[in-house]
Amino acid sequence: MNILMENFGLLLEALGTTLLMAVVAGIGSLILGVLVTVARVSPIPILRAAAFGYVQFFINVPLLALLLLAVFALPDAGLILPLLPTAIIVLTFYEAAYVAEAVRSGVNTVGVGQIEAARALGLSLGQSLRLVVIPQSLRAVVQPLGNVMIALAMNTALAAVVGVVELTSRVNKVNLVYAQPIEIFTAAGLVYMAIALAIGLATGWVERNVAIVR
Amino acid sequence: MSVTSPLRRKLPVAGAILAAFALTLTACSSGSGSVPGETSGSEQTDATSSVFENAPVAADELIIPDSTMAKIKERGKLIVGEALDAPLLSQQDPANPDDVSGFDADLAKLLAIYILGEPNVEIVPPASETREALLANGTVDVVFNTYTITEERATQISFAGPYFSSGLAVAVKSDNTDIKGIEDLGGKTVIVGANTPAVIAVPEEQPTAELVDFATDPQAVQALLQGRGDAYVQDYTLLASDAAANDKLKVVGQPFTSEPYGIGLKHDDADFKEFINNWLLEIQEGGQWGEAWKTTLGTVVDSEIPTPPAIGSVPGS
Repeated sequence: MNILMENFGLLLEALGTTLLMAVVAGIGSLILGVLVTVARVSPIPILRAAAFGYVQFFINVPLLALLLLAVFALPDAGLILPLLPTAIIVLTFYEAAYVAEAVRSGVNTVGVGQIEAARALGLSLGQSLRLVVIPQSLRAVVQPLGNVMIALAMNTALAAVVGVVELTSRVNKVNLVYAQPIEIFTAAGLVYMAIALAIGLATGWVERNVAIVR
Repeated sequence: MSVTSPLRRKLPVAGAILAAFALTLTACSSGSGSVPGETSGSEQTDATSSVFENAPVAADELIIPDSTMAKIKERGKLIVGEALDAPLLSQQDPANPDDVSGFDADLAKLLAIYILGEPNVEIVPPASETREALLANGTVDVVFNTYTITEERATQISFAGPYFSSGLAVAVKSDNTDIKGIEDLGGKTVIVGANTPAVIAVPEEQPTAELVDFATDPQAVQALLQGRGDAYVQDYTLLASDAAANDKLKVVGQPFTSEPYGIGLKHDDADFKEFINNWLLEIQEGGQWGEAWKTTLGTVVDSEIPTPPAIGSVPGS
């Protein structure tokens, strides 16, 4: 435990970076994911195709490959951003595809009658999506979205490979000095577990409060 | 509001995926361009075989019954923790996965010959962070992995050797004339390899330098050339090979640390440690050590075969 205490400040700072990445990319991917879903279920063929392409691209390319591309290939194209924002942006785009898939499954739970009723009441397409379809579909997929958020929090560790000093990268450095891998990585694992548990419990709480009783 | 997608939409998607893979491949190939020694592959194989000619084999009385060496001999192969992606030290030939060459790899084969009479090596690639655990739980017999001897590590495992001494040096872009060595790195952004000795050594020399670490050497070189940092601190021989392969990069100044590399062993296996130290002396006197250096690290450095460091000369060994 001494090792962890001696490096407490550095580890806490790194944990802050991990949480920052998870929160910013989490919020970003929820917003972007819902927008992608809206495009995916809209009646405009080009939007539907674009959203379908987006989801398939990000689900089928490994996150590590995307991170390496963004960090090493984009500068060759003249686009160079600091490492942390680059990693957050890539995580946001990547997880948004999973959010979109989860929300889409929620859209499928909304009865056709609801949509027909909305249109019959004179709501425009935008209104019926915003007021009727999306709120109900989000309520139906709280738990799957929680799982996507947990996966996102774990995926932040991959940013260590491209030079972002987050928790995994920091414990690697600490281990390099102290050579106590089992103790150090167990501690890091427990922290990640606590993050996942917190997200899981929060998700459960939200779900109990918003679930639609059918 | 149906959300199922007709099949015909899959075609452009396949195109997008292909494009993505093409991009990924391009990124990879531009990185591996800096791997040295690619052109002289056939020469090296010929030269390498001379390393193993007349390699010493341990006399039977040295293989003490029930010792680690006896167990290895019984098993018929030596299990070594060594990298597969370290140019000049231990690199796997992608076209021929059985061919792993480099200084560490050659020494591992020499040790296998010493114990077994043939270069029968099974490689377990360790991550830098798992080497101690792999040794402690007996997954590998020895570690040849540019394993710097430190006193902290020596409380977990034992080191035979040192078998080689290297040092960290500074590389910059060829057009950079401001940085002439480690003394000019205060306040600068410095690229280092993740889990290399540079992570510890640079802050000791230059506390105000900001570190950015990348997982592999090609990535770090790429990052330096793209301007993600002002300098790249890495092992001198590795930098020399990078600079030999890529004229956009140059090494400045002399090595500023001394990194004694040891052979990692299970902790407190005194018989095995003595056995390996004796073997090291034998291959140093027999010339195999120098031959192995000449055909690997020696190909990128303009100097004679260095004098091997004295066995046990470092705290922790």
